[in-house]
Formats: sequence, C-alpha cells, structure tokens
Amino acid sequence: MSFMRICQWLGETSFSHHLREAPYDFPVLIIIHIITIALFGGMVVMGNLRVLGRALRSVPVSQVIEQFRPWKWTAFGILLASGTLLAASDPLEYGYNVMFWISNGLLLIAGVNALTFRFGVYRSVAEWGSAAEAPSAARRWAGVSLFLWIVLIFAGRAIAFF
Amino acid sequence: MMFLAQLLQAHPEALPLNPIARWEWVFPIVESIHICGFTLLVGSIVILDFRLLGICLRSQSVSRIAQALSPWIWVGLALQLTTGPYLFSGDPHEYVQIAAFRNKMLFFLLAVIFHFTVIRAATTPSADSAPLGWRRPAAFVSLGLWFCVLLAGLWIGNL
Repeated sequence: MSFMRICQWLGETSFSHHLREAPYDFPVLIIIHIITIALFGGMVVMGNLRVLGRALRSVPVSQVIEQFRPWKWTAFGILLASGTLLAASDPLEYGYNVMFWISNGLLLIAGVNALTFRFGVYRSVAEWGSAAEAPSAARRWAGVSLFLWIVLIFAGRAIAFF
Repeated sequence: MMFLAQLLQAHPEALPLNPIARWEWVFPIVESIHICGFTLLVGSIVILDFRLLGICLRSQSVSRIAQALSPWIWVGLALQLTTGPYLFSGDPHEYVQIAAFRNKMLFFLLAVIFHFTVIRAATTPSADSAPLGWRRPAAFVSLGLWFCVLLAGLWIGNL
C-alpha cells in the first residue's frame, strides 16, 4: 500500500473525520500542544542553559536534570499524543507537508542528541556537575540541543504556513 | 516622510510599508520568536512557582532560584514586549476588536504586576526561612494567570 493510500485510508476513518470537523477538537488540541511547550519547554531550556553555565549556576547539573526529568517526560508524552492527534485530523494535508516532515526529522535528531548526552558525557556528571563550568563536550551538546529546539519551534509553526 | 505620505495617498492600493502587513511570511517568523519568548518567560516563572511549592530544586533556597532565574525572566519579557507589539502593528484595528486579544492584554498586565509585586515579595531572602503560608496560594495564582495569558493568546488565532 502506498503512502498516499495509507493517508487516504486514515483520513476517511470516522475518528479522523471527527477530529477534523468537530468545532473545538482542533483548537483545543493546538492549545494543549502549545501550552505544554510553554510550561515545560522552560525546563528543557533551563537544563541546557545550566550545562552551558548561563543559568542556575549554583545548582549542580545533576539536580537540574534529574528534578526536571519527570516533568519533561510528562510534557513529551502530552506533546506526542496531541501532536499525533493533530496529524491524524488531516493525514493527507500533513503527510504531504514538507514542514511536517522537517519538524519530525528535527524532533528525531533532538532525541538522538539527548540520548548521546544521557549515555555519554552525563554518565560522569558526578565529577563535573557541581562546577559552574561544564566540560566542553557537555556544553557543545547543550548548545546543539538549544539550537535544535528553537529551530523546531520555527519549523512547527511553519507547518501551518505551508 | 512627506514624499512617502503623498505617495501612499496617491496609491491607496499600494502595499503597506510595514513588513508584517506587506509580506505574509513575516508574521509566522515573528510569531515563532514570540513562542520562543513565552517559553522562556513562562517556563522560568513556572520553575520559580514550582520551587515555591516545593516541587523541584528543594535543596536550593527559593530566593536563590529567584535570583538565578531573574535575568532569563527579563530576557523573555523583553522578547515578548518587542515581538508582541510588532505582531499587533500588522493589523491593530482588527486586534482591538477581538475579545480574546483584549482579555490577553488584561491577563498579561495582571500577571506581570502580580509577578513583580507578590511573587517578588514571596521570593525575597527574608521570606526563605518563614513557613510557606500565603506564598502557596500566591504561586497558584501566578500559574493560573500565566495560563490564562497563554489560553487567551492562543484563542486570538482561532477566531
């Protein structure tokens, strides 16, 4: 089955019809999606800024990362669920929207980037986490992460423009 | 300026000079910066309110977290106070007629005033050792006000 057929099939399900046509489903999903970004995006940003030595310098890195982690995972779950529903509301529209795929690609890269930090330089956080200045490998990771999330916001907003 | 004014009067159908009203791609770009700005502004304030409520970063005193977050709250506020009015400038007559826009401005004003009065008082070093008391509801009010700002702001686009 081609990609086009899958999108068509998904778009014709009553579930997708409902999401597309009910008056409040779409705006409510968008609102949940963006408010979650605002409430918890700050934790991603502050985590990155801490590793860069630009914020919360007196708090050990491991504390910032560990204490924000459950909130970030909760937010990620909400974003993934609301994002999937938004995409399912009009699969033909989004399946052929280049910005939709660029956003997903960026999300994937940001995820891989986070995992390389988590299972890379972060494993030795006990040695460097209390210092205001993190090792250059960690700072490089944080810079890339911050950059990716900012680009992702632009790309995500641009989905509606294309 | 005179020349420009005459030119515009002579050609009422001419494209507006303000980039955001002239080219359709300017709006989503400025709006993206606005989204980054509120992520920074509201995100930092949420962390501060969470600390007040004892949800995170408990090993650090409230005043210390407030001090550490303060510059980023200012950066976020500066971003919002530049991008916001600029988004507004694209079609001011339209925005003032939208109830959600007027509500957003009201909530924004209340949230900012509340932050720099009540929340500031709740996060001074002298309050650190006192029991939480009134500072707990204050943190909830702050969270609620910023939530209303976001909600009303998002609703502008849905009308």
